[in-house]
Amino acid sequence: MTRTILGFALVALGLAALAWLPTQVGAYGVGLLLGMTGYVVLASAWALFSGPTRYVSLATVAFFGIGAYTVAVLSETLPYWAVLLVAAGIGLAVALVVGLATLRLAGVYFVIFTFGLAELIRQLVTWYEVNVTGTLGRYIFLPISPEQIYWQLLALAALTIGIGWLIARSRLGLALKVIGDDETVAAHTGIDISGVKLALFAVSATIITLVGAIQAPRWTYVEPSIVFNPTISFLTLIMALLGGANRLWGPALGAIPLFLLFEWLSANFPSHYSIILGLMFIAIVFVVPRGVLAGVEDLWKRLRRKGEAA
Amino acid sequence: MTTLLKIQNLKKQFGGLTAVNDVSFSVAEGETVALLGPNGSGKTTVINMISGAFAPTSGRIVLAGENIAGLAPNRIAHKGIARTFQLVRILPSLSVAENVMAALAFRPNHLWGTEARDRAEHLLLEVGLGGRGHEHANDLTYIDQKRMELARALAAEPRLLLLDEWLSGLNPTELGVGIDLITSLGQRGMTILLVEHIMEAVRALCSRAVVMNVGTKIADGPTADVLADPAVIVAYLGDGHA
Repeated sequence: MTRTILGFALVALGLAALAWLPTQVGAYGVGLLLGMTGYVVLASAWALFSGPTRYVSLATVAFFGIGAYTVAVLSETLPYWAVLLVAAGIGLAVALVVGLATLRLAGVYFVIFTFGLAELIRQLVTWYEVNVTGTLGRYIFLPISPEQIYWQLLALAALTIGIGWLIARSRLGLALKVIGDDETVAAHTGIDISGVKLALFAVSATIITLVGAIQAPRWTYVEPSIVFNPTISFLTLIMALLGGANRLWGPALGAIPLFLLFEWLSANFPSHYSIILGLMFIAIVFVVPRGVLAGVEDLWKRLRRKGEAA
Repeated sequence: MTTLLKIQNLKKQFGGLTAVNDVSFSVAEGETVALLGPNGSGKTTVINMISGAFAPTSGRIVLAGENIAGLAPNRIAHKGIARTFQLVRILPSLSVAENVMAALAFRPNHLWGTEARDRAEHLLLEVGLGGRGHEHANDLTYIDQKRMELARALAAEPRLLLLDEWLSGLNPTELGVGIDLITSLGQRGMTILLVEHIMEAVRALCSRAVVMNVGTKIADGPTADVLADPAVIVAYLGDGHA
């Protein structure tokens, strides 16, 4: 109990420090913090669903883009907080429909479907903009500063990791462990497997939609190829895998170094950037398939056993 | 005695193969019934249909007046049917207590937190695993894994318990312990349908037996009569022994 309180105090202190940081780092620094926090949320939200269920989703950018586009379309007609609510609602609705239709798909079929979904939504939005509104891009003029975007993302990051912490201590968390161990036993002990997966997918997708919505004012100009860029899905996935999708802090720990690395790579090697991304993807899956945190834990256990044996 | 489970004209086809063909029998409240038959006779398929792992091709499975045939396994579990598996199925990443708490947490009147922990500990004591809840399920011996699986099934407080060869693979001492355990469940009024190959156990535990061969029912009656039935002996041992 005291350890939990201590943990919470540390997290609160850390959050306060992070919230204070923009006053110290200048405009470029705030931009970095903002992007990094965005990916911390994306990777953590992705892992909420894909970590325990082992369903690899490439639909991240579908929801991210839905969030961004909702803001682009509605920012001049509705107050900002209402736009965020509407975006979250649309993300949730799409997630429920997609989830009901696809969570029966197993393994690679789910991966392909989610990748296709992101492309489908991008093409639909493009078609609509070209044929109905007659333009491709949209401008977003919202008086929201980068600091304010960063604070919103920071709050969302805290919320997402908090949700992960709560789930791990709830019946839902136990249901996930049982499903992860043996779906047959799970079903025969009364667990509604599809319901559990759908709930998680919906929570994860809603958070991802909100990241897109919150970050949208940063771009000023959006078009489908920017906000539905599949690289966002791939980056999110390898960040979560690097840190460990089954650990509370794993995705965040994976997101920070990889985001900084990609920033540096895209600035210095703009044309070779995707090759390096692909290579890293392969390397992470081969070297640390369960994530760095799980790898470190295994190593620690082995060292301790050796110590006991000696 | 009131009928708890009524199987009516149950049939299961896998492609062109008919695994279970027009099987009907019933189990009364508080009864322990054996479902017998040589390997491949369709016993486990019947158990799998009752527990919802497979949907029947046709026929009815009536539990306390309600047809549950074809419902999803989690819904059937909530109707009051719990089972163990032919090859013991543990949740390897969880502790022994958590394996039992998994069933407590998802039954209709679910338990959680300290209540669940206490109840799990009590159930483990009942099956002979008292004080071992903190151990890793993976580290248990085979008999202890079977005990834990039984505790998990009992945690659901089922109206009907399905045991699929729960006693197989035990050594003679363990077998005695296992028979005593199931006897005590029966004495407390639990309704049990069990698939078993060990005749010693069937004689000790079951007042009635249903025998299947190549997907159809060939005998149904008091255990001693059924085991003396020439048709049953032929099915088990071949023509030369009848």
